[in-house]
Amino acid sequence: MPIESQKSIIYLDNNATTRPDPDLLAELVQLIQNDQFPWGNASSIHLQSRDPKNTLRETRRLFAEIFHCQATELIFNSGASEGNNTVLKSVWQSLGQSKNEFLISKVEHPSVIKAAEYIQSLGAVIKWIPVNRKGQIDLEFIKNNISNQTALVSVMFANNETGSLFPISTISEIIKPHGALLHVDCVQALGKEKLNLQELRIDYATFSGHKFYSLQGCGVLFVRRGSPLVNLIHGGGQERGRRGGTENILSVWSFQQMLPLLKWLEAKNHEVRKLRDHFEMNIQNKISGVTITAHEGLRLANTSSLVIQDVDGETLLMSLDLKGFAISTGAACSSGNPEPSPVLLSMGLSRDEAQSSLRVSLGWHTKPQEMDSFILALVEVVERIRKIKTEAEEKKSHAG
Amino acid sequence: MPDNSSKGKVLVAMSGGVDSSVAASLLVDQGYEVIGATMQVWDYSSCDIIEGSGTCCSSIDVDDARSVADKLNIPFYVLNCEAKFKAAVIDPFINDYLNGRTPLPCVNCNTYLKFDHLIQKMKELGCDYLATGHYAQVIQNENGLSQIVTSEDDWKDQTYFLFTIDPAIIPHLIFPIGHLKKPAVREIAEAKGLTVAKKKDSTGICFVGSKGYDQFIKENVSASILKTKHGKLKRFPDGDIMGDHDGIHLYTIGQSKGIGLTYHEKLFVIKIDSETNTVWVGDEKYLYHHEVQVIEPHMLNDVEDGEDLYVKIRYQHKGSKAKVFKTKDGYNLKFEEPQRAITPGQAAVFYRNQNILLGGGWIKI
Repeated sequence: MPIESQKSIIYLDNNATTRPDPDLLAELVQLIQNDQFPWGNASSIHLQSRDPKNTLRETRRLFAEIFHCQATELIFNSGASEGNNTVLKSVWQSLGQSKNEFLISKVEHPSVIKAAEYIQSLGAVIKWIPVNRKGQIDLEFIKNNISNQTALVSVMFANNETGSLFPISTISEIIKPHGALLHVDCVQALGKEKLNLQELRIDYATFSGHKFYSLQGCGVLFVRRGSPLVNLIHGGGQERGRRGGTENILSVWSFQQMLPLLKWLEAKNHEVRKLRDHFEMNIQNKISGVTITAHEGLRLANTSSLVIQDVDGETLLMSLDLKGFAISTGAACSSGNPEPSPVLLSMGLSRDEAQSSLRVSLGWHTKPQEMDSFILALVEVVERIRKIKTEAEEKKSHAG
Repeated sequence: MPDNSSKGKVLVAMSGGVDSSVAASLLVDQGYEVIGATMQVWDYSSCDIIEGSGTCCSSIDVDDARSVADKLNIPFYVLNCEAKFKAAVIDPFINDYLNGRTPLPCVNCNTYLKFDHLIQKMKELGCDYLATGHYAQVIQNENGLSQIVTSEDDWKDQTYFLFTIDPAIIPHLIFPIGHLKKPAVREIAEAKGLTVAKKKDSTGICFVGSKGYDQFIKENVSASILKTKHGKLKRFPDGDIMGDHDGIHLYTIGQSKGIGLTYHEKLFVIKIDSETNTVWVGDEKYLYHHEVQVIEPHMLNDVEDGEDLYVKIRYQHKGSKAKVFKTKDGYNLKFEEPQRAITPGQAAVFYRNQNILLGGGWIKI
């Protein structure tokens, strides 16, 4: 069967990655055609290093301006997974002798969870902060567990699966008097929420450019001046000796082109929220047994995490993919083998609910008519799956 | 979207091996709308990384299946069947060994995963057919009834593993390579440039691998439970104690190597008594029996009481003539010739005219 879906895909998986901006791609083609593409090594001395150096400097400057920090506090790397690993391992290595406790939310990205489990195996004490069904983080738990033994508190700005926003400023207020460092995984904030690193008194923040319409492979790690940092990659002195390896200039360049567009954030958010709310209202009207996870609390404007009763999320995803809709059942998994989402399970959803979950994440380019066709397709597929499931159950009960 | 030019929509189970890859490829050629799927059935993350390859055993097969699907330009998905596989295949497999039986996990996998779970997925995805790379064929008899018959390749024929299939789903099954012999299947894979053309045939049980089932059981059952399976080796039939053994799960009827005895004559495992943990060993002649009790039967076609049928008592058995009599909980088989090493836990599968799969049941001596 020809894969029709690839021709006219309706992409609703923007929390996984975003389709690079069409204008950006057009400009890139232009640059390559005109032989102006910054292909040099930024660490070289000769003229060919000038453009890459400029790209790095200019991107750093723009980023610092938008997110309220110093350009020297920014390190380019491969993405937020690397950033998150760097932060947890750095803090453990630098402070572990005197302060060995880490407070980390249960719904973090695997790059935080796995890195935490790793330092735990080396002796760190990890206290997992609970998150409830509404997506709210347990502030009382933080208050009760923070102490002068706490080296780091790691919480995400917004959850990738539910879109829930954590009250970073409140958490900051709770933990700062105890001298704990604050790490915020800001991956889902980029292009979705305003963020002021200064005001929130964040010590470490991690970003990935590809969540905001640029090319994959450019991450930014913010490390507040004076905060401990140990290299994850030792090498040729790039990034002021803090991260070895030639920078991914092409990807950084693409990120640089996108950063100015953040000025449209509020207007875009307004449009995206309208579409998302329209979708959620329609789906709840047209399909029975649909609940929106964590809708009670503050959420990103673009994310909708649904539980559709009696429908297997895996089959739903496949059926919609065959119809040309790209969505997700939870965090994208590299093996392509969906397991019930640990995030939803730790929020207290049952295994059945987690298996019946679906994540729809809109982007700046999502069109109203795309959402309308998605609503139609989802209704049709859910009805079909439920009908077949009922038939199978009836058959089994007759047989039994 | 339904495509009127196509012959229907098929979900094809792709393992990453050459048989199911060629099956998918033939379906594409025949004009079906094809969707590929691999069942992820076992948590391979605990497997050792194969040195030098930098990758793990499962992902190689999944990647192979995916690369074939890419080459054929068909959609492809990985289905998470780990929990189901553990409950329906792994646990009974271990349980059989611990109770003195020699299990047949492929039948359970077919019963509960391929021809139940995948059939359900096939329907939910709006497909008309389910295809697999089994060496078996579906034909319509003179009454228009779909029946499973043996493959053209006698050596590879896999109908033995298919006796638990629900007859109602047979019209929805396609076995695209059932009319071919293995060398021809490989030739097609070569001709089509499928990367798996030269891949070795999988042998043995997929989740056990090369380490052997005894090692698998050791890794998956606690030492304290295994200890309760230790017992005596006794001489059949008089009962002389010959020695001790380290667990009944280490023995299979008919086994002569690795019994754990040095003796002047060749001895065979004749019987395993799970209640007393006794492993009976003796002369080969005691392995031969004319009669077998079959329980928990599953029939795809009717058989007459006392009918002469061909019966296979293990996968590699070529089939022997037996009279089949109905009993309260199954069948009593009376073989024309005595059969060697009839093994509880294996299936007895019935055929008419040596090729039509009729059904079968589980051997209980």
